[in-house]
Amino acid sequence: MKREILARILLLALCLVVVLIPLALRDRSLTLRARMPEDDGWSPQVIQAAAGQPLRLRLTSEDVTHGFAVGQMEMASVDVLPGVVSEVTLLFDEPGIYTFFCTRWCGLNHWRMRGTIEVSGGDAPALADAPLYVALGLDIDAPHPVPGVPSQIPSAARGGQLAEIVSLAEFSTPEYYRAHSPYQVYQDLVSTNLNAAERWDVVSYLWRSQTTAEGLAEGARLYAQNCAACHGETGGGDGVFADQLAASGQSSSQTMHGSMSARTPADFTDAQNMLGASPALLQGKLMRGGMGTGMPMWGVIFTEEQSWNIIAFLYSFQFQYQGVTR
Amino acid sequence: MKSAMIFRLLMLAGGLALALLPSFAQAAPPVERVFRIEASSFAYKPGQIQLNLGDRVTLELVSMDVVHGLYLDGYDLSLTADPGQTARLTFVADRAGSFRFRCNVTCGAMHPFMIGKLTVGPNHSFTLAAGLTISAIAIFLLIHPRRASQ
Ligand code: HEC
Ligand SMILES: [Cu+2]
Ligand SMILES: [Cu+2]
Repeated sequence: MKREILARILLLALCLVVVLIPLALRDRSLTLRARMPEDDGWSPQVIQAAAGQPLRLRLTSEDVTHGFAVGQMEMASVDVLPGVVSEVTLLFDEPGIYTFFCTRWCGLNHWRMRGTIEVSGGDAPALADAPLYVALGLDIDAPHPVPGVPSQIPSAARGGQLAEIVSLAEFSTPEYYRAHSPYQVYQDLVSTNLNAAERWDVVSYLWRSQTTAEGLAEGARLYAQNCAACHGETGGGDGVFADQLAASGQSSSQTMHGSMSARTPADFTDAQNMLGASPALLQGKLMRGGMGTGMPMWGVIFTEEQSWNIIAFLYSFQFQYQGVTR
Repeated sequence: MKSAMIFRLLMLAGGLALALLPSFAQAAPPVERVFRIEASSFAYKPGQIQLNLGDRVTLELVSMDVVHGLYLDGYDLSLTADPGQTARLTFVADRAGSFRFRCNVTCGAMHPFMIGKLTVGPNHSFTLAAGLTISAIAIFLLIHPRRASQ
């Protein structure tokens, strides 16, 4: 009798072990599937994680090549390929809501392909400061053309030579730079008694001295990856999707309370528009997005520093920075 | 009369030589060439590329909708382009023949049919056509000598 009970207990234990081993060894990582945004994008779209605990993701695509990265996080983007599972492990130090996004252009609506990771644990971090354009009270949706444009491309190198003979201290702070459009600075420089072309050269020099060669290089890289498909590789507003965007704008503007929304990507080579925009205005538009114009919202993707690097790069479509190496 | 006959025979020989001997066409010196290939689902524009042996070629792959690739058979070269990020590749066309190129990025349902052709070699078609035409005239004259000499 005793032996029978022992045998039964042993058998039960064996069964339990057989059931529990695979459970314990089971892959606890989460599978994240990518599909084109027209077919619902990511699934799941919301992922739960805990601060300080690694989050393992298995990424795969059900249609075309996509990419995966988390906004405002130091990480190389991971390609998400059909028929292949790529693994990635993320570690979040701070609780909060993070945005993950597709990094390979998978179609006109590629930039809509985003999801969130809700990281719990501890105190939520302090709210970020209001964006600069709000503090400055700028209307970032108002047109900002300038009455006159330079007759030649303003050169930072020539401006640098003039900077040695005139005093520019009050124009050389980051605060002044961010809050003023190149045209406003051009006008403020009247006090220096320089002629028009010289003043534009000085503006070019001032703009260049607010960034670095590395900053511009990072801006260029982020621009190529995220903006060129709409705004064009050379900034002309003529990216490969420009026509499709305009077409989709026309069809939707008829239904949307009659108001035409500007769907053509901004032309950064257009001096009339660009020289009338302050860095704060452009950065505001970049981070907030166009709200229905087809200009995506990037605030959850870029860090503050990255955003200023991109803005500094955008002005290089207006200014000649050659000959300045710093 | 006799000299006319010889002339016609010579004409025939010349025409055939022009059509059939490759050496006449090989003269084209190697040049730098740039081809802009627009890739959209599911085709390349242009889908056919013709170049001469020895040319230094730059292929610019411009993607118009999703990520596409280009893999060139025979040369074992590949390119991948995101929309907005033109991909470039320079090589010397040192192997003659016809090579298929195809998309090596899964870009959608019709992806396996996204193909194009690169032909490396002297462009024969003009000399072939010209040579054959001359030969045909010569044969015509040989067959109807009377009518020609009237
Ligand atoms: C899907 C297409 C698309 C992408 C991608 C895109 N934009 Fe735009 N962008 C637009 C459109 C359309 C407009 C014009 C409508 C508007 O101002 O809202 C615009 C306007 C802007 C403006 C406002 C210019 C002005 O003078 O007011 C800035 C700045 C800008 N984009 C920067 C960027 C940057 C930087 C990126 C990349 C990080 C980017 N955009 C990516 C479509 C796009
Ligand atoms: Cu995608
Ligand atoms: Cu393709």
